[in-house]
Amino acid sequence: MDLTREELLEAYRTLRMIRAFEEKLNELVTAGKMGGFLHLYIGEEAVATGVCSHLGVRDWVASTHRGHGHCIAKGVDIRAMMAELFGRATGTSRGKGGSMHIADVQQGMLGANGIVGAGIPLATGAALSAKLKGTGGVAVAFFGDGATNQGQFHESLNMAANWKLPVVYVVENNGYGEFTPTDFVVPVKDIATRAGSYAMRSEIADGMDFFDVYEKAGEAIRRARAGEGPTLLECKTYRFAGHFVGDPLAYRAKEEAEDWIQNRDPLARFEGQVLEAALVEADDLRRIDHDVEEELAAAVVDAEAAPPPGLEELLTDVYARGES
Amino acid sequence: MTMEEGTVVEWPIAIGDSVVRGETVLIIETEKSEVEVEATASGVLRHVYVEPGETVPCATILGAITGTMDEPFDPDAFAAEHRGPQPAASVQPVPAVRPGAGAARSANQRAPGGHKAVAPVARALARKLGLDPEVVHGTGPGGRVTKQDVETHAEARERLVMVEDGIALEVLREGEGDPVLLLPGFGTDVSSFALQARVLAEHHAVVGVNPRGVGLSDAPDLPRYEVARSAADAASVLDAPAHIVGASLGAAVALELALSHPDRVRSLTLITPFVEATPRLLAVTRAWCRIAAQVDAEALALALAPWLFSEGLLADDTIRERTLRGLTASVAKVPAATLERTAAGITAWSGARRNDLGKIAAPCLVLAAGADLLTPHADTIAAAIPGANLIAFPGSGHALAIEVSGRVSEAIHSHVRRNTGLRIPDSIP
Amino acid sequence: MSRVLSVSQAINEALTIAMETDPDVILLGEDVAGGGTRSGDDVEEAGGVLGTTKGLVTKFGPDRVLDTPISEMGLIGTAVGAAATGLRPVAELMFIDFLGTCLDPLLNQAAKLRYMFGGKVRVPLTVRTVTGAGMQAAAQHSQSLYWMTAGIPGLKTVIPSNAADAKGLLLAAIRDDDPVIFCEPKRILFQAGEVPEGDYEVPIGEAAVVREGSDVSLIGMGATVATALEAAELLAAEGKSAEVLDLRSLAPLDEDAILATLEKTGTVVVVDESTPRCGIASDVAALCVDRGFDFLNAPVKRVTAPHAPVPYNKALEDAYIPSVARVIEAVRECGI
Repeated sequence: MDLTREELLEAYRTLRMIRAFEEKLNELVTAGKMGGFLHLYIGEEAVATGVCSHLGVRDWVASTHRGHGHCIAKGVDIRAMMAELFGRATGTSRGKGGSMHIADVQQGMLGANGIVGAGIPLATGAALSAKLKGTGGVAVAFFGDGATNQGQFHESLNMAANWKLPVVYVVENNGYGEFTPTDFVVPVKDIATRAGSYAMRSEIADGMDFFDVYEKAGEAIRRARAGEGPTLLECKTYRFAGHFVGDPLAYRAKEEAEDWIQNRDPLARFEGQVLEAALVEADDLRRIDHDVEEELAAAVVDAEAAPPPGLEELLTDVYARGES
Repeated sequence: MTMEEGTVVEWPIAIGDSVVRGETVLIIETEKSEVEVEATASGVLRHVYVEPGETVPCATILGAITGTMDEPFDPDAFAAEHRGPQPAASVQPVPAVRPGAGAARSANQRAPGGHKAVAPVARALARKLGLDPEVVHGTGPGGRVTKQDVETHAEARERLVMVEDGIALEVLREGEGDPVLLLPGFGTDVSSFALQARVLAEHHAVVGVNPRGVGLSDAPDLPRYEVARSAADAASVLDAPAHIVGASLGAAVALELALSHPDRVRSLTLITPFVEATPRLLAVTRAWCRIAAQVDAEALALALAPWLFSEGLLADDTIRERTLRGLTASVAKVPAATLERTAAGITAWSGARRNDLGKIAAPCLVLAAGADLLTPHADTIAAAIPGANLIAFPGSGHALAIEVSGRVSEAIHSHVRRNTGLRIPDSIP
Repeated sequence: MSRVLSVSQAINEALTIAMETDPDVILLGEDVAGGGTRSGDDVEEAGGVLGTTKGLVTKFGPDRVLDTPISEMGLIGTAVGAAATGLRPVAELMFIDFLGTCLDPLLNQAAKLRYMFGGKVRVPLTVRTVTGAGMQAAAQHSQSLYWMTAGIPGLKTVIPSNAADAKGLLLAAIRDDDPVIFCEPKRILFQAGEVPEGDYEVPIGEAAVVREGSDVSLIGMGATVATALEAAELLAAEGKSAEVLDLRSLAPLDEDAILATLEKTGTVVVVDESTPRCGIASDVAALCVDRGFDFLNAPVKRVTAPHAPVPYNKALEDAYIPSVARVIEAVRECGI
C-alpha cells in the first residue's frame, strides 16, 4: 500500500464526513427541517472514497440518486451541499436542484441524477471529451446494480469499449434495486461478468474495504488514463439505511442488515486496518471525528441562516441564452 | 347593401342533375363575399345562361330548372317569360357556409344565449368607437360581426342627422337636384324604396329617412313613436321644401307633414295611405310585433308576405323568393321594441286627421292597390284631398312599391316632374 | 454571393463551416461517417442514410465524425455528457420518430442540467433529426414530433423551410450554448434554393414574414411554409392578400411576430404537419386567443395532420399531409 499517513487521514476524513453528513441529514429530515427525497449512502462510503482518492479536478464523476457520498469524495464543498439541501441560494444549485441534483462542474462533478442509469452515458460523453480534447482526464460513472439492467448501461459500455474511452464504470452492488433483491432481477451472479459482452476488462472489489476498492480502482483508472480502455468495476457493498429516508425496510431481514452493520462497517474496518498496521494513531481519527462534527454543525447553522433563492430564480438558467 | 352585379363562381351541379328546392345550385361572388344561391324549385338543371367567370348585372337569369329533362324547353322563350320585375328591395346575400364551418345559424341570428356572434376585434373596435357591436349587421360566416362590419356601421353613423333632444336619424342621400323625401312603411326601412331611390336619384336629391328605432336611427325609450313626431323629424331633416313620398305608415307621416308643416311640402305622393286604421291593419300590426319578438327576420317575412303581396306575386316562385329576401333584409332593420312603440303611435293617430284631408294644399298623388288587404280605402282619401290624382293598380297587394316597383317609380317621377319648375325628361329610361 | 444548393447540401455546408471554425464541434450518429473511415477503392462513405454528412469524415477525420452503434439512448446521452464537459457535439437522431428510444437524455438530462445545477453548466448540444411525411416511410419514420421537444423547457427546437435558413439556423444552433433540436423536414431536404456563401447565422427565436399580406395570416413551419405560400398565391389570384409567416423556431416561439401578423390581418390559419392535439398549431392558436384576443376577426383555424399515425399508401399519405386545398378551405371558413 503506497498511501502516506496524510493520504490515509484524508481518506478517513472523507469516510467519516460521508457517514456524518448522511446521519446529520437523517436527523434533519426526521426533525422536519428538510424536504424532498433523500437517499442515504451510509454503508457504501468505502466505494466513493476508494475510487475518488485517485481523481483530480480534470477528472469527471457522474453520480446517482444516492449521490452525496460521491460529491463529498469528489471534493464538493459540504457547506454548499448542505445549503442546497436546505434549498438556499448559497447551495450548489442555488437551491433549485436538491439532493438528487447536487453538482459542481468546476470540481468535475457532473451531478447526482434522479434517473437510474442516466449518469452512465454522461460519464461516457465526458470521457469522449477528455479523449478528443486530450486533457488526460478520466471519467467515472457510479451507479447501482439496478442501473445495469437499463439500456443506457449496455449502450454506453458498448460504445466506450469500442472507442477505448478513458472511463471507469463503478457499479455499487448493494444487493437491492430499490426494494427488490438484486438476485430477483439479475440472472448473473457477478455483474462484473456483463463486461464480457463488450470485451471490456472487469474487476470485483469488496466495497466494504477501502483498500481493496482503492487498489482495484487505481488500476482501472491508470489503464483508462493510459488509453487502454474502460473497466467495469463491481464493488460489492450494502446499503445500511433504506432506499430513501422513511423507507420502512419491510422487505429485508433485520438479521441480514445487522450482520453487515455489525461486522462489515467500512469505517470500523478501515480504522481496524490502519490502527493494526500502526499507520495512524487513534487520536488522529478521533480528532477528525470531532472536526467533521464541528464542520457539519457550522454548515447547518450557515445553511439555515442563508437566504432562499429569489422568485426570479424560477425562470433563470432554463436557457444559457434567450428565454422561452 | 344593394347588390348591383355578381360573378358566377361555380355551378356545383351539372346540366341534367336533379335538384331539390333549397339546395345550393350556384355560387356567385358579389363585391364582398361568395353567396350560395338556392334552387327556387325542384326538378333538373336544364340550362345555364351564364358560365363561371362571367359578371352580369342583378336580375339576370342565370339558369333554368325544369321538372324533367323530357319536357319541351326553349331557352330564349324561358328567359323572356321569366324576366320579371327588378328586385324591389336590396338583395341580401346569404353568406356561403361550407360543410364543417359549424355556422349553422342564419345571418345575424342571435346565439341561444342572446348574444350575436361578434369577432373579438370587432368588439374591441366597437368599444373604442362607443358602439354596441350587437346592433351592427354582420356579414361574416354565420352572420358574425366582423371588423369591417363595425367600420361600415361607423361610417354609416357619420351620416346621421340630429333632429331634436339629441336624437340622431339615419339619413341616406343620393343624387342631386330638388329634394325628394322617402318615408318607409311600418316595420321596414328605406331599403324598401331601393329601386325608386335609384331612379329618382338620376334627377333629384333623394333623401331617405329611417324613422326612430329603425336601422341606425336612435331608439329613444318612449311609450309611443307619435306620427306627428315622425313628421316633425322628417321636417327637420329637410334643408328645403321637398317632394314627399310615403308608403302606408310613411303616407300617414307624409299627410301629417303636409298638414302641420305645409311650407316643407312641394308635392305629396301617398302610396296605399290610411287615416283610420282598419281592424285588420291593427291586427296585422299586433301580430307583426309579436312575431318579430320571437322569430328571425326570415320567418317574420314569410309570415307577413300573405298580407303584403298579391296572390299573383305569391304564385311565382322566383319572384316570391327574391321579394322575400328583400323583405327579410328590410324587416331585420326594425327591432321588436321599435315595432311596439310605432304601433302605439298608429293607434293613437288613427282617425285623428279624418276630417282634415280637405285642408291639404300641396299637389297630391294617391297610389291605390286593388288587392290591398290592409289599407283598402286609398280611393276615399284621394277623393277627400282637393285636386288629388288617383292611380289604382288593380291586382296588386299592399306593398305596392315592392310589388310593382317600376310602375310606382314611374308614377312618382311623373308627379314630381309635373310639380317642379325644372325641365326634366318626360319619361324615365 | 449565393448559389443554388439543396437543403441537404446547405446543412452539409453549415456543418463544414462549424467544424472548420471550432475544433470542439464533432459529429456523432448512426452512419454519419458511413464507411468513410475504411479505405478501399470500392468503398465510398455514405455520410448518413440520406447522405447529408457525406464528405465530412474525409475532411475532418474519424475522431470528429463518429459512427455510433444503433444506440440512440447511448449516443444522445454520450453527446449530452460531451456537451457538458467542453465539446460542442452535433448528434444525429436519424428520424425524430426514434425519440422514443432516447427521450431521457433529452428530457431529463440535456434540458435540465443547467437549471438543476444552478446555471453552472452549459449543454451546447445540437441534435439533427429528419422529420415529417412525404417519402412513404409510414408510421414510424414520418412523424413530426417537434411539438414534443418544443414542449420541454430547456430545449430549443428549430425547423427551416428553405436551404438558406437551414444553413444559418444550423450554424446558430451549433453555436448556441443550449441544446437545440434541429429538424430537417423530409419533403424539403432535396429542394434547392439560393444559399449565401460564407459564415452566417439565422437567429434562433425569430420568425420571418416570407410574404406580406393584409387579409389573412398563414403561419407555417418547415415544409408547410411552401404549402402556405402556394395557398397565398391562389388567394392572390382571387384578389385576397395573404401574409405568410415562417416560424423557423418553435421553441423559443416568436410570439411577437405571431401577434404582429394577427394584429395586421385579424385572421390566422396555422398550417402544421404534426398531429392536432397539444401541438404547435394549438399553441399558436392559444397564443392568439390569450394575448391577441382583441385582434381576432375570425376563429383561428388549425390545418394539421389528423389524429392518426402516418399511413404508407401514397394517396393516404397525401391526404394526411396538410394540403393547399385545406388551407384555402380554412381561409374560406374565416370568411375571407
